[in-house]
Amino acid sequence: MSENYFNSLSLREQLEQLGKCRFMHLDEFTEGVDALKGKKMVVIGCGAQGLNQGLNLRDSGLDVSYTLREAAIKEKRQSWKNATENGFTVGTYEELIPTADVVLNLTPDKQHTGVVNAVMPLMKKGACLSYSHGFNIVEEGMKVRDDLTVIMVAPKCPGSEVRAEYVRGFGVPTLIAVHEDNDPKGEGLALAKAYAVGTGGHKAGVLMSSFIAEVKSDLMGEQTILCGMLQTGSLLCFDKMIEEGIEAGYASKLIQYGWETVTEALKYGGVTNMMDRLSNPAKIKAFELAEEMKDIMRPLYNKHQDDIMTGKFSATMMADWANDDKDLLGWRADTAETAYEKTPAGDVEITEQEYFDNGILMVAMVKAGVELAFETMTAAGIIADSAYYESLHETPLIANTIARKKLYEMNSTISDTAEYGCYLYNHACVPLLGDFMKNIKTDVIGAGLQLNHGGVDNARLIEVNEAIRAHPVEAIGATLRGHMSDMKKII
Amino acid sequence: MPLPWSITLKNATVEFDKGFVCRNINWSVHPEHQWLICGSNGSGKSAVAAIPGGAGEVQSGVIKNLPERVAIVSFEAQQELIEAERKKDDADIMDVIAEGTPVSEIIAAVCKDKPLADALAEKFGLTHLLDRAFRKLSTGESRKVMLIRALTSDAQLLILDEPFEGLDAASLEALQAHLNEIAVNTTIVTVLNRLDQCPDYVTHLAYVADGTLEQQVARSDTDAFQQLQALLHLKTSDLKVPPADTDNKLPQLDSADPLVRISNGAIRYDETVIFENLDWTISPGEHWQLTGPNGSGKTALLSLITGDHPQCYVNDIFVFGFKRGSGESIWQIKQYIGYVSTALQWEYTVGTSLRNVVISGFYDSIGLYSKPTDSQKQIANLWLEVLGMKERADDTFTSQSYGDQRLLLIARAMVKHPPLLILDEPCLGLDDMNRQRVLALIELICARSDSTVLYVNHHAEDKIKGIDKHLALGDENSISNRGL
Repeated sequence: MSENYFNSLSLREQLEQLGKCRFMHLDEFTEGVDALKGKKMVVIGCGAQGLNQGLNLRDSGLDVSYTLREAAIKEKRQSWKNATENGFTVGTYEELIPTADVVLNLTPDKQHTGVVNAVMPLMKKGACLSYSHGFNIVEEGMKVRDDLTVIMVAPKCPGSEVRAEYVRGFGVPTLIAVHEDNDPKGEGLALAKAYAVGTGGHKAGVLMSSFIAEVKSDLMGEQTILCGMLQTGSLLCFDKMIEEGIEAGYASKLIQYGWETVTEALKYGGVTNMMDRLSNPAKIKAFELAEEMKDIMRPLYNKHQDDIMTGKFSATMMADWANDDKDLLGWRADTAETAYEKTPAGDVEITEQEYFDNGILMVAMVKAGVELAFETMTAAGIIADSAYYESLHETPLIANTIARKKLYEMNSTISDTAEYGCYLYNHACVPLLGDFMKNIKTDVIGAGLQLNHGGVDNARLIEVNEAIRAHPVEAIGATLRGHMSDMKKII
Repeated sequence: MPLPWSITLKNATVEFDKGFVCRNINWSVHPEHQWLICGSNGSGKSAVAAIPGGAGEVQSGVIKNLPERVAIVSFEAQQELIEAERKKDDADIMDVIAEGTPVSEIIAAVCKDKPLADALAEKFGLTHLLDRAFRKLSTGESRKVMLIRALTSDAQLLILDEPFEGLDAASLEALQAHLNEIAVNTTIVTVLNRLDQCPDYVTHLAYVADGTLEQQVARSDTDAFQQLQALLHLKTSDLKVPPADTDNKLPQLDSADPLVRISNGAIRYDETVIFENLDWTISPGEHWQLTGPNGSGKTALLSLITGDHPQCYVNDIFVFGFKRGSGESIWQIKQYIGYVSTALQWEYTVGTSLRNVVISGFYDSIGLYSKPTDSQKQIANLWLEVLGMKERADDTFTSQSYGDQRLLLIARAMVKHPPLLILDEPCLGLDDMNRQRVLALIELICARSDSTVLYVNHHAEDKIKGIDKHLALGDENSISNRGL
C-alpha cells in the first residue's frame, strides 16, 4: 500500500489544502463546456453516478462512452445493460481508454486502486483522470503518472437526483478540485469547470475545494452526524419508547419518518428554523438536551476527526477490506437484528407537527450532531463552507433514506466507507449516552410535553433563541443558502 | 358483493387536504344506484365522489354507513403509486439501479381474485407486460393496472374517477362491458368529464360546482339529463393568442429544411421492439396527428424528437438544423419546441407560482431558475387572462386542480410560440368545457401562428381543424394525408 498522501505533506501544506473552499459565481462559467468540446470522455463504471452523469454530459453536447471490465460486457451485467440501453458505446479498457482525452472514474472507492492501476498504463499522454471522491489519492496515496491531469468533480447528491435536476433545467450543488501535484498543463480547473457545467452543477452552485478538504470533511460528516448520529438516535429513541410503554408501531413510525420531517425544516432554514418549529417550552427543552449531549459527545467527535486526520480510520477500514469486509458485514447483520429495524412502522397517522412535538429528543440530537460536527471540522482546519455542506446540508438527504426503508436502506445506499464509519460511531456513542438516556422520559420522545400551558420565562427564551442563532453554522448556512437563491432557484 | 345498506350524507361538510371544502352535502348512495358525478375542472367532483370512500375530514353534519372495503381508481391514486415506485428507484445514494416492482406483484398486493385478474389482464392486452417493471409502463398501461387492482379487490364500493381516460378502444370496450356486468351486484360511483361517454350501468347523475352537490338527476328523467349535458357543454368564446416575446430571439431556421426528419427510426429494449423502420419528415407548416394503441410507442417517438429519449443518439435524427449526436445540447433542441403531456404534469411537482409556470416555458425548465424579464411577465399575465386565472397568478401551481394544471402547462408550451408545438394527449383528464377551450385554442394556434402542431390523441371525436397529416403507429406504421 502506498503512503497516506495527506501525512506526507508539511503542516503548512496540510492547513492550506484543508482551508480550500470557495463558492464560485455563475459568471465564472461563461465558457460553458468549451474546454471539453470535441474531447473523448470515457466513463469507468455504469452505476447510478456513472450512468446519470454520462446522460447529462451527453445531453450537454459532449462525447461520452463507457468502459467496463471484460467480464461485465461478456456476461451482459446490469452495468452493461444500463449503458447500451441508453445508446452509449461500450468497450473494454483496452479498446476505449487509449482513445480517451478524459477518463471519468466513477467506480466505488474500494475499487479505485485496482481500476486506476489497470487504466493508467493505457491512458494517452497528457490525458485527464477524473474522480468524484478523493479517498484514493488522499488516503491510499495513489501516485498518478506525471503527465496526467487529475481533477475531481463531485455532485453532492445521489445519481438519480443529478439526472432529475438536470432534466428540469437545473442541477445539483457540486464540488470541484484539482490535484495540484498532477496539473502539468495547468488545465485542470478549466476541465473541472466544464465538467460541472456539463452535469448542470453550475446552476445550483459550485464549490472550489481541494482533494484533501473533500476527503477529510466528507469522512467526518458521514460517520458522525449524517449516518452515525441518525443510527444511534434511532436505536436509543426506539428502545426508550418501548421501555416507557409507547406502542411499538407508533414508536417505529415516529422515528422512521421523524428524521425526514425535522430535517426538512433544517434544509429550509437551518437549525434555527428546525428549533422554531417547536413550541417555546419544547424549544427550551430541546436546547438543554442538546447542550448536555454536546458535552457528552464532544470527545467522541474529536476522536473521529483525529482518526480521520491521522489516517488511522482509513488504515483500519482498508485492513477490513483486505479481510473480506468481515467487520462491516458483521455489523451490518447486527443492525438488521435490532428491535427498531425489526418493528415495522404502525398504521397510525402522525401529522407533520406531531413529529416535532413528540420528537423533541430527535430534534435535540440533530442539533447536537450538526453543531458538534461543524465545530469539530472547523477546529481541525476545515473551512466553514465545507463543514456546512458535510454536516447540515446533507443531513436531510440521509434522513430521506431512513424514511424509505429504515437503517437498512441508509446503510445499503451510502458508500461502504460511510457505512463502516457509521458503525464505528454507533458502537461508541450508544454506551456513551447510556447515563443520559436513563433520565429521558416520554415527554421528550413519544408523547410530547403535555403541558396545559405554553408559558415560558421571557429572559430564558431570549437567551436560548440567541444561542441558537449565534452558532457559526447558522451564519455560513444563511450565506450559502442565500447564494442558492441568488442563483434564482425559485421554489 | 353489494353494500348492505345505503351510505347517507346529511348536511355533511367535509374538508380535504389543501383546505378544499365540500359543503352541505345531502346525498344517499343506495346499494342499487349507480352514480355518475360530473362538474367542471376544480369543481370538487372528485372530492365529492371520494366522500363515500371515507375521504376527507367531516366538519359538521352526519355521514352514516361508510363501507369497509372501498377501491379507488383516479389520476391522483395512479400518480401516488407511480411516485411510490419512483421513490424506490431513487433509493440510491451511491450506486444501485433498481429494476422496480413487476406489474404482477403490484396487482397481487391487493388482488382477491387471481383468475379474474388474469382474465382482465388478457382483455386489456396486459398479459405480456405482467413481468415488466410497473414504472416502465406507459400512462395508459399503468391505468389498466390500477383498474385491475380495483376490480379484483373484492370492494363493496368502487369509486372510479375518469376510468376511461387514456384507454385504447379495445380496452375501453372490455372495461365498459365488465362494469355493466358487475353493476348488478356492486355499487359503483363514477366520475366523468364527458357525458357522451356515460356508461349504460349509470342510473343517477350528480352535478358538482364549488364543492357542493348542485343537482341530482335520475337518468330515466330525460329532460333533466339533457339539461345537465347542456350545462357541461357551455363553451367560452373570445380567445386570443397572446403575442410572442420580441426580445426572445431564436436562432433562425433554414426554411428549406424540414423541422424533423427521422430515417429508419427504431426503439428497442433488450429483445422488445417498440417500433422500427419508421421514416417521418415534418416540414414547417405541416400539422400532424399521431395515433396508436397504448404501448405502441407514441410518447417514445415524441421523446426522440424532444431529446428526452436516450436512444435519440443511436437513431438517424435531424431536428432544427442539428444532426443528433453531433455536439449539440438538448437545450439547443428544446428551444424550438413547446411540449405538453400527462407525464410532464406528473413531473411538474415544483411549488412555484402560476405565473412562473407559464414563464418557465421561455426557459424549457420545470420550475424557474432564471430571473424573468418584464415582457415575459406581461406575456404570462395575458395567458393567465385567457385561462381565466389572472387573479390566481401568485397561487401555488401544485395546489391547483388537475385540469387547471393542464391548462397552465398548455399555456407554458405555447408561450414562446415555438416552431414545433407537441401536444401529447392534451385533453387527457379535462372536462368538457375545458376540453372545448383547449381544442379551440389549438385550432387558433394552427390558424394564426407560425407554430407547426404535432397532436397525439385517442379520441377520434377530438378533431382539430387544420391538422391534415396523420401518422398511425401500430403493426404497419402508416402515414396518410387525411385527418381521421
